[in-house]
Amino acid sequence: MVTAPHLSAWSACQIVFAQLLLAVLCGCTQPDADKPLIPVRDDLQREVRVPVSPDRVLSLAPSLTEIIYAAGAGHKVVGVTTADDYPAVVLSLPRFSALPVNFEAVAALEPDLILASDQINSPQDAATLAAIGLPVYFVGVRTLDDMLKSIRTVGYLLGTSPAANRTADSLEASLAALADRTAAVQIRPSTLFLVGDATLYAFGKGSYMHSMIALAGGKSVTRDHNMASPVLTDEYVLTRKPEVIIGSFGMDHSSETLLEHHRTWDLVPAIVQGRVYSVPGDYFLRPGPRLVTGAWMLVALLHPDLVPSP
Amino acid sequence: MRSAWLVVAGLTVLTVLSVGFAVTVGEDLDRGAVLHVLRYHFTLSSGPPPDPTADRIVWLLRMPRAALAFVVGGGLAIIGAAMQALVRNPLAEPYILGISSGASAGASLFYLGFLPPVLSKTLSMPLAAFCGGLLSITLVYLVARGSTRLSVARLLLAGVAMAALMGSVTSFITFSSPDPDKLRAVLFWLLGSMHHATWSLLPLPAIVTLAGLVTLMSLARSLDAMLLGDEAAHSLGVSVEALKRLLIIVAALVTGTLVAASGAIGFVGLIIPHAVRSFAGVTHRRLLPACFFAGALFLLWADLAARALLPSQELPVGIITALCGVPFFLVLLRRSTYDFG
Repeated sequence: MVTAPHLSAWSACQIVFAQLLLAVLCGCTQPDADKPLIPVRDDLQREVRVPVSPDRVLSLAPSLTEIIYAAGAGHKVVGVTTADDYPAVVLSLPRFSALPVNFEAVAALEPDLILASDQINSPQDAATLAAIGLPVYFVGVRTLDDMLKSIRTVGYLLGTSPAANRTADSLEASLAALADRTAAVQIRPSTLFLVGDATLYAFGKGSYMHSMIALAGGKSVTRDHNMASPVLTDEYVLTRKPEVIIGSFGMDHSSETLLEHHRTWDLVPAIVQGRVYSVPGDYFLRPGPRLVTGAWMLVALLHPDLVPSP
Repeated sequence: MRSAWLVVAGLTVLTVLSVGFAVTVGEDLDRGAVLHVLRYHFTLSSGPPPDPTADRIVWLLRMPRAALAFVVGGGLAIIGAAMQALVRNPLAEPYILGISSGASAGASLFYLGFLPPVLSKTLSMPLAAFCGGLLSITLVYLVARGSTRLSVARLLLAGVAMAALMGSVTSFITFSSPDPDKLRAVLFWLLGSMHHATWSLLPLPAIVTLAGLVTLMSLARSLDAMLLGDEAAHSLGVSVEALKRLLIIVAALVTGTLVAASGAIGFVGLIIPHAVRSFAGVTHRRLLPACFFAGALFLLWADLAARALLPSQELPVGIITALCGVPFFLVLLRRSTYDFG
């Protein structure tokens, strides 16, 4: 800072005080001075100045934590949200609440870079974090390709590109192998994926879920639903007549439980033929690398003959 | 007398047409298939059976839904009119004594698993909501009750305070709930929706509402007198304190039952009585039945709009009642020379 020679003692005092305040407020959380900042554009088209190869990174969403680990940068994660549980090693990391963001806990973890999901976190939170000197990079994952791309991007941001590209390549290969396996499938059952059994939250247009079901040799019923995340009506399901219903319904779930909530569904082919399956939600609801495993789980349900039983 | 019959005939035709229209809105169904289902059921299952999918959609989903909207809308509107007479305040509505917020708190406590297992095993969500509403209004009543008379000002203030208290209970429960799926379900319920209407759910709200309407009609003259003030009503031979207690009991039972059936649907009980007064006058003998039909048809059409606006998607009807009802109400307030009471 250049100090003008004619500065009065009082304003000098003020400047010193302001500098002190600044040091107290954000000195401890500011990225190291020797790490240069580079401007990048995140998935929300915000311009963010991020440090090159940061050492301490923090994710505001479980799916991003999984992406960071997939990108080979797990050792840089210094804290996770209270909703995180994968990979298991994160259970021993410091935790903070992400909804709403516990800013004090985040600041205390002294991250160099924070990753946020555009589906869960709000840009307002990012503004608050930026104000205390913490750069936030938003990642958006809508499709399976986005997910693969986000692994490479996160690898680039965290300086682990070779590992990230290896993971992304192998996930891509796994998806390609799945596509090969189901390419010749003649009968593609119409499949309804539900997020809950009582209130029918589902994946609407533009979701990665439809590509997962298509890769697994099915046809997603809600692929052309005009809302992005609709609550379906009972009659929608009745008229679409899904042949398979898959959902994150919990462990002890069956066609009967679904019928209890939706008594008119006794004619729905999936229920008549007993093709209602419950799957672990994390493989389908978290837009991260485990979606690939989820897609393989789907093929085991839709076309059991195509997958050797374990 | 002839004009009264004309009105009744007109309302019946309007109701039949509205229900008829309501059962055709939704997923694309052949008009003929809808008619086939209706003909089949109204002729007591004679003739060839209809397409089973259309049958389920029209007869088991859309009909009970329309009927529930009709009952709930009518019930909330008459209770709104009665509450406005009870507290002599145009802002009064069925929820003013904390019933809906109590019911919401009860429902969220139950649904998100915050009740002890002994309780949650014996209760169902509607019952939990009903109990919450009843508990809330009982507390309000106990606070407002004086040694000789029930203070209307205290009733209103205690009601508002209780609504805030129960609201914060609901917020805290939903905020601290660990289960996102159940949380979404509760939020959906809190906004009010007809989507779980079934024939077996219908009799209780229908009977309670009808009983409420009959009771209020028998009190119509006393309600008219209440609008003049406690003392004037007393000098007209109305036992004011007994009437107040009776009104609160009727309001608690009807509103509690309706909220338990469909969630807290707002604005119907506030705007319908005012809207109806501007053309049916303030005498309760005419106001109450008119309110019943206006509220019933309004909610039926609001639910229809909710389904037509976003097909294949459940939209809580509470959003529509405010969205469509309030502008209409404001215009009405502005245009007429309406004066409360």
